[in-house]
Order: sequence, then C-alpha cells, then structure tokens
Amino acid sequence: MAKTAWQRIGLVLGLLVILVWCLLPVAWIISLSFKSAASITVGNPGFFPAKGTGAGWDNYKQVWDNEQFRHAIWNSIGISLIATALSVALATLAAYAIARLDFKGKRLVLSVALAIAMFPVVSLVGPLFDLWRAVHLYDTWPGLIIPYMSFTLPLAIWTLSAFFREIPWEMEQAAQVDGATSWQAFRKVIVPLAAPGVFTAAILTFFFAWNDFVFGISLTSTERARPIPASLSFFVGADPFNRPVSLIAAGAVIATIPIVLIVLLFQRKIVAGLTSGAVKG
Amino acid sequence: MTATAGARKTRAAVSDRTKAENSLGRKLVAPAVIIMLIVTAFPMIRALWLSVYDYTLTAPDDKKFVGLGNYATALSDSLFWRDTGVTVLIMVVTVGVELVVGFVFAMVMHRLVFARGVVRTSILIPYGIITVISGFAWQFAFSQTNGFVSGWLHMSPTFNWFGHTWSALLAIMVSEIWKTTPFMSLLLLAGLAQVSEDMVEAAKVDGATWWQRLYKVILPNMRAAIMVAVLFRALDAYRIFDNIFVMTNGAQNTESVSFLTYRQVIEQFSLGMGSALSVLLFLSVMLVAYILVKAFRVDLAQARQEV
Amino acid sequence: MTRARRGRAVAAVGAAVLAGTTLAACGSSDGRATLNVYINPDAQATMAKLADQCSTDKYKLEIQLLPSSASDQRTQLARRLAARDSSTDLMSIDPVFVAEFASAGWLATLPEEYASKAVDDDVLKGPAESAQWDGKVVAFPQWANTQVTWYRKSLAEKAGLTYDDATQTLMKDGSPATWDDIIKAAADNGGTVGVQANKYEGYVVWINALVMGAGGDIVSDTEAGTDAKVDIDSDAGKAAAQVVQTLADSKAAQPDLSVSNEGTSLGQMYPSGGAGEFMVNWTFVYKNYEGLIGQPGGPANKAAFQDLGWARYPATVSGEESKPPIGGIDIGVGAYSKHKDYAMAAAQCLTNTDAEVAMATEAGLMPARTSAYNSPELKKAFPASLLELFQNSVDTGGLRPQSAYYSKISSAIQSRWHPPSSVSESSTPGNSASFLKDVLEGKALL
Repeated sequence: MAKTAWQRIGLVLGLLVILVWCLLPVAWIISLSFKSAASITVGNPGFFPAKGTGAGWDNYKQVWDNEQFRHAIWNSIGISLIATALSVALATLAAYAIARLDFKGKRLVLSVALAIAMFPVVSLVGPLFDLWRAVHLYDTWPGLIIPYMSFTLPLAIWTLSAFFREIPWEMEQAAQVDGATSWQAFRKVIVPLAAPGVFTAAILTFFFAWNDFVFGISLTSTERARPIPASLSFFVGADPFNRPVSLIAAGAVIATIPIVLIVLLFQRKIVAGLTSGAVKG
Repeated sequence: MTATAGARKTRAAVSDRTKAENSLGRKLVAPAVIIMLIVTAFPMIRALWLSVYDYTLTAPDDKKFVGLGNYATALSDSLFWRDTGVTVLIMVVTVGVELVVGFVFAMVMHRLVFARGVVRTSILIPYGIITVISGFAWQFAFSQTNGFVSGWLHMSPTFNWFGHTWSALLAIMVSEIWKTTPFMSLLLLAGLAQVSEDMVEAAKVDGATWWQRLYKVILPNMRAAIMVAVLFRALDAYRIFDNIFVMTNGAQNTESVSFLTYRQVIEQFSLGMGSALSVLLFLSVMLVAYILVKAFRVDLAQARQEV
Repeated sequence: MTRARRGRAVAAVGAAVLAGTTLAACGSSDGRATLNVYINPDAQATMAKLADQCSTDKYKLEIQLLPSSASDQRTQLARRLAARDSSTDLMSIDPVFVAEFASAGWLATLPEEYASKAVDDDVLKGPAESAQWDGKVVAFPQWANTQVTWYRKSLAEKAGLTYDDATQTLMKDGSPATWDDIIKAAADNGGTVGVQANKYEGYVVWINALVMGAGGDIVSDTEAGTDAKVDIDSDAGKAAAQVVQTLADSKAAQPDLSVSNEGTSLGQMYPSGGAGEFMVNWTFVYKNYEGLIGQPGGPANKAAFQDLGWARYPATVSGEESKPPIGGIDIGVGAYSKHKDYAMAAAQCLTNTDAEVAMATEAGLMPARTSAYNSPELKKAFPASLLELFQNSVDTGGLRPQSAYYSKISSAIQSRWHPPSSVSESSTPGNSASFLKDVLEGKALL
C-alpha cells in the first residue's frame, strides 16, 4: 500500500537522520585527529584534512608519548573503576532494602538520593576543596572516588531497585521458609539473580565517573590524580600558545574508545538500565 | 480468649519481624546514605557558614563577618542576573529542542523493525561521550580556522562564531543538545512503549487524524515519561558548566551561574562570596525543580519508584 | 556475627583501596630527595635538561607541567599552596602573581646569601623588581620577556614606514610611528595587525602597555591593597581605549581578534596570500619563524625570513615613548616545602647565567641577566640588533601593577574591555574604573 511505502521511506529517512546526528561529530573529531599539527596552526578548515595535510598516526603517537596524558588515562580508569565498584556495592545493599524491606525512613532515603541527583555540583566544590585540603585528600585518588560515589549512588540505587522489583522474590521466601536468614537468602538466592542488574548499574556509574569534569579540575592539580576530561582541557602541546587542536582530538578519540567498546558490547543492557524505573508511572 | 491470645501472638510476631526488617533495612542503606551525605550535606552546611564571611584564601587574615552582605552584593549585582538569564535561556532552549527532536527520534525507533542494534549503538555514543569532548568537537567544528560549519553553511570564512554572544551561545547549545538528545529520546521511547496500541487503533477506527491521535491519545498517555525526562534534563541543563568551560571560558557573556560560582571559589579563592553564590545556585535549582514539579503535578518518587 | 563480619569486610576493602591508591600516587625514589618543579610549558625540553643538570646526589628535580595560560598556572599553584602542600618545592611563577603569592605567605623568603645573588646588579631592572615584595626577595628571576613589533619589511616599506637604526623604531614622517600609524599602514596595504585580545591575561598586557605608553597607569599606590588608587579613567586610559577601538573597527583587525592570543597571529605573518602583518608579540617569535623556514605557516625560504623585521613597541600617543610589556618567569620556593635548603640551591642553579643562556638559545626566552646577553652563545644565536632591542625594551618597559590583588585587577579590566569591539574611548575607561573600585571594595561580583 502507498501508505506503508511512505511510512517505510519516512522510517528510513528518520533512521538516516539519527545516524548522521549521532555519528557526524564523532567522525569529525576522528577526521580532525588526522590533520597535521602544522596545518592546524596555519588554518585547515573543512571536514576532512586538506590535501597534503594528513598526519597519519603522528598525533596519536604524540599523545601517547605524552606522559601527562598516559597518567590521566590511568587515573581515569583506576578512579572510575574503583568508584564504580564501591558505589555499586553500596547501592546494591541499599536497593535491596528499598525494594524488599519495609522500614522507617525509606522515603527519606529516596528523597535524599533524588535531591543529590539534582544537586548543583559546582556549589559543592568550594567547601569540598576546603575540606579536602584539611584532611589531605586534595589531589589524591580517594579525593575523587568519594565524590564520584556520592553522585553515582542515586542513579545506581534507582536502577538497581527497579531491577530488584522484577526478581521473583518467592524464591527468597522459599529459602527463608527452609530456614535461611534474610541475609543468607539475599546472598545465596538473590545475588545471582540480580547480577545482570548490578552490571547495568555499574556501566551507568562508570559513564558518570568517566565523564566528570567539575570535580576533576577542582580537586586535583597535578597528574597525580587528574582525570582525562580535566587533562584534555589543560592539554599543552609543543606550542604553548595554541591549543593543540589535532592532539586534543586524538586524545579525545582515545578517551572515547572505552565508551564505544562498552556501548557496542552492552547496548541492550544500557538502554534497559537507563529507562527502567524512570517511566513506570 | 484464645482468639485474643492468638491475635496478640501474631502482633508480637509481626512487630518482631517489623523490628528486624527495620533494623536490617537501615543497616543496608546506611553506608550509601553516609557516603552521599559526606559530600553534600557537610559541604552545604559549611557553605552556609562561610557565606556570611568576607573570606579570601589568599588573604586569610582579613576574614571578617559580613552577615548577609555577600547575598546582598550578589543579588544586587547585574552580573548575577545576567548569568541567571543566560542559564535559563540555555535551559529552556536546549530542553525544548531536545524534547521535540528526542520525540521524533523516539517515534522512529519505536516503529523501526530493522537495524535496531545499529540505532541503539549510535544513539548511546553521544550519551556516553565525555561532555568536555563534545564541547571540544563542536568548538573545533565552529572554529573559523579549522572548522567545517561555516563552510557548510556557506558563510563568510572569517565569521568568528565565538566573537559574538549569540553565535557563541548557539555553539554551546548545539554541543549540549547533541550530547543529551539521545538520553531524552530513550526515556521517551520507554514512555511510548507504555502507550497501548489498542487505544491508538481504537482512535484510528473512530476516524481520528494522526495529529489528533498524537495529541489526544499518545502524548497524554506518556505524560509521566515526558515529565521525568523534562525535569531531569532541565535540572541538568541549569547546571551547565563543562561545555562553557572548554568552548568560551565564559567570554562574550556566555557565563552560566555554575561558571560564575566556580570562578569565585576556584579562581578568585573568594570562599565567602563563592559560598554565598553556591547557596544561591542550590536554591535556584530547588526553585526550578519546585516550579516544574508543581507545573506538571508529578509525584516524582511515585513516577520513579512506584513506592 | 554476620553483621560484624560484613562490617569488617567492607572496612578491609575500603582500607585496601585507599592504601593502594595512596601508594600508587606516591611514587618511588632512589634514596635521593625528590624536589618537584612546577614549570610553565614554554620551554619544556630545556627545563627538563636543566632539571637534570641541577640535580645532585642529594636531591633530584622532577618536572611537573602547568597549563599554558598564566591564570590557569596561578590557579593550579595557588590551590596546592592554599592546601599547604609540602610537595610544591619549586615553581615557575609569572611575575604579576609574585605579590599575591608572597602576601599570602606561600613563597619562602630568600635567605641573604641567595637574595643578594638572585637580584644582584647583573639582573635587569624590571625582573629584579618583580621578584621582590614588601622589601624582601621572594623569587629568583629566571628569564625576562618583552614584546616588540614584528613585521614584514616589505609591508612597512610599501606603507612608507621607515626603520630608524639609532632608536630601533619604526618612523612615520620623521617621528616614531604610533599605533594609529601602524593600523592605517596595514589597512591601506592589505596587511593586518596582530595583538592579543582574547579574554585573558595577554589582553591586559596589551592594555597596560597602551595605558603606560600614554604616560598613565591602571592603578597606583598598590601597596595599599584593596585601597589602591584606580587611575584608568584618565587621558591615558582614553588614549588606550581609542587604540583598541580603532583596531577593532579597522580592516587591519584579524578576524579572530576577540579570541586572539600569542599563537593565533603567528600564521598571519606569512599568509598564503596577502602582505603579512605587524604583530606585537614576545621574544620567542624569532626562533619560531627561524624553525619554520620552508614549512607551512613559516617563511617560504631564507629570503622570506630575511623580510622579518623588528622594532620597538609602537607608541600609544605621538611624542611619548612606548613602554613595552615585561613578562617572564621567576622561580619561587614553596613556603611549605620540606626541603627548602635544597630548593634554594636548585633555584639558584636554574637561574644562573648558563641556565639563562640555554633558555635563550634553545627556546628563545630571553635572559634576565646582562651577563647572559653578553655571552658568545647568545651573540651567535641572535642578530646583535635584536639582542639590543630586547635588552632595551626590558630595561625601559613597564611592569603590570604589582599588587596582592592583581588577579582581581586583571579580571576586572578584562571584564570591561572585552570584547575589543565593545571598547569605546568615551565610556570604557570610566566604566572599568568604577567597576574596578567596586571589585576591590567587594561591592561587585567579578
């Protein structure tokens, strides 16, 4: 029928728009990372490197040889992973309690989590900076891990409690009838069932930690703890006066690789995690 | 008698269970709550305390009590209101555009029967990409010396996008919209999935046009999803900072309230004034949340948690 | 029991994580003390070499890189020092922030034995002044920067500007060329004028030089801190605003004027088409183009490089000698360093004549010491006339205000003078003066 044909064309067009929208800037930053640094100084407009101004892998080599950048990658990976692990562990406990147990203060916990998710991060960095320098957490890994945990916990708790509601809890009750304590029932029966949800929460938490900028620039000052986003924004090339555009682009591509890998492998889980609990009204 | 005893017994058992649950529940949430509060409640209280002092880190000996002086200065300063205006503008425009584009994307994805994996993967890339990188990508794209936007739009190659307030704001908003529309569209997609196909079909049978079906059936039925998406994105947009930092560093009057606060605290080391601004920023976010929740009459906890 | 076990397990994981990260972050050493040197990125390779040379069997210097803009460098250092960080042993510090750092007590005062050498007669006047605060020597001048007019000789010739050898000045009809003359010369002959006018410290460098070149200053009586006298609403301030306004309105302005920095106008000297430019910029420019001969963005060949001219900074008003900007780097010792004695010795080593010669010949960063200017290496690396011009400019240039509140002063000026196209001779100096007063009194947000 004509109508379905039109719908089909519309869908294909829509699909193309979505793909261009999402991938064009990514293609652009990749293309930029292959423009030679010298041609950037002179000006090298256009989407693709102008003829004869391709840099091959030079920018990547230079970025990789840059000790600051390697430190930043290491910091980002380490800090994000630790923050993710700790945050998800705590969130699992909390989400279990929220999904399963009836206790006073449950609503309060949810409200606190919501309030924190809305918190303007910038309004905390001042006092936090002051506090961190007093307790010597300034410019250290734990100094970033702790705030990352605080701000990823709400998301992790929501995602997880939404997952936990889907779990067939009769099995837990069955275990309890068989004489297991609440805690044992939780550990032996529920944890394996909940693992996929935990995994999804972990991915979203990791994204947050990997993306953070405000804490990264405010609570660090050297490569000792400075994560990638902050490092990229301070990136200094051979020419101290010009932002090394093509090197930053190469660094950005490298910093995006983990994200792309995670997305490729776990897209289904991420979508489920993002939307679960968000729209069950 | 036996009945009463039995009831008492049950009540005792129930209250024992309740007690145990209460205690276990609290123990399970305690670590998470403590971590969340360390980084928020304490600094916020400290900010309240510092905000009544004139206190600069570079001249710690000059610290003096000024009462509400910092608030008075900030609230009577045109800079604060200009930055608030810029922030609100960014919030309204970006969320508005994201809502429309996100809805279109959601419709496409909803109807799509092929290439779903590809679409899902591509739509998650902007979502997952670092905001700073999105800022860089668009800054370079709009740059007159190395970007492509001017060329594609057939504009003068010497037009400096970051030389004027409006064009610089536009560039910032483009980077924000690009990165966050996918999130919006995924939330809306989940909302669309909740709209029952039967109702849409029934409306069709009743002779409703496409627009009527959209306005009378689909949108009202995904109200909760839209509200949650708008609320979260709006609060996020109100806190905009990263893109501005890398793209203009606040030049050309493109500064947001977050950026203003950051500069006072971290660059000027004015902990007193910076703390006052922090409190004001916090209150304004609360105000935005309050207005949205009131306007949409959404019980957020309910929408999110079905408690 | 279970509760206790769980508690312990969580605590153990937490402790392990914290311990692991602290250790990982700490780094190791070979028995020698490690002194951190925070450097600005102008001469990374040379500084790394010097750091090696200045290390001894007692201590090792380790380079830590700061961001590229002066204000970012200040922020990073100040945050560490405000946190009483004991690992900030040595630091490159822009002279304009010495006053602020010293008055906050973040810089160790030099003991007499070092102080006498750090600012002895060998050191030029501007740099020597910049390293002192409140009657004490608080830093070692390492190199002194200044700006001159870089230009294409062919462009100047076409525009009828002549070079006077004795005063090393570009002349227009027999008197030193003013900014207006140069802007007009560029505009009428297909050239451009390169300046630094992004919203950053470099813009204040320009504004300050313009104001001082007209015989005024931005603020005076800076020892009074927040009670300093604000002078920018004056004839000199108006003359400066007039120059900015003229350039912004002229077709000689480069299209990226409002975001221009020291690097953006480099490419306009040898553009693929066009006459080139007049550019005020720091001393590194000579080495920069010398290294770019035959490469994109540089002179096509030796002959084109010979077309690069240099002259004294342009005059703001006719009849008043220009006051070239002074910049550079001082080396400070952190007040909370655990190894102040080592750090002092290392700082002295990083700023001796040999070190300054290396900085100049390898990175084009000019010395703060006369003896370094006179060294055979420098004479070989730079044309004699250029050395003379640099030395003269530093000696007769104008420092930016030395105030503990300099960063506020600078930000206030940037806020009211940016973008250049908004500057108006009639209103900008007055506006910026009243704003600056309010800022210093804490009555306005910055």
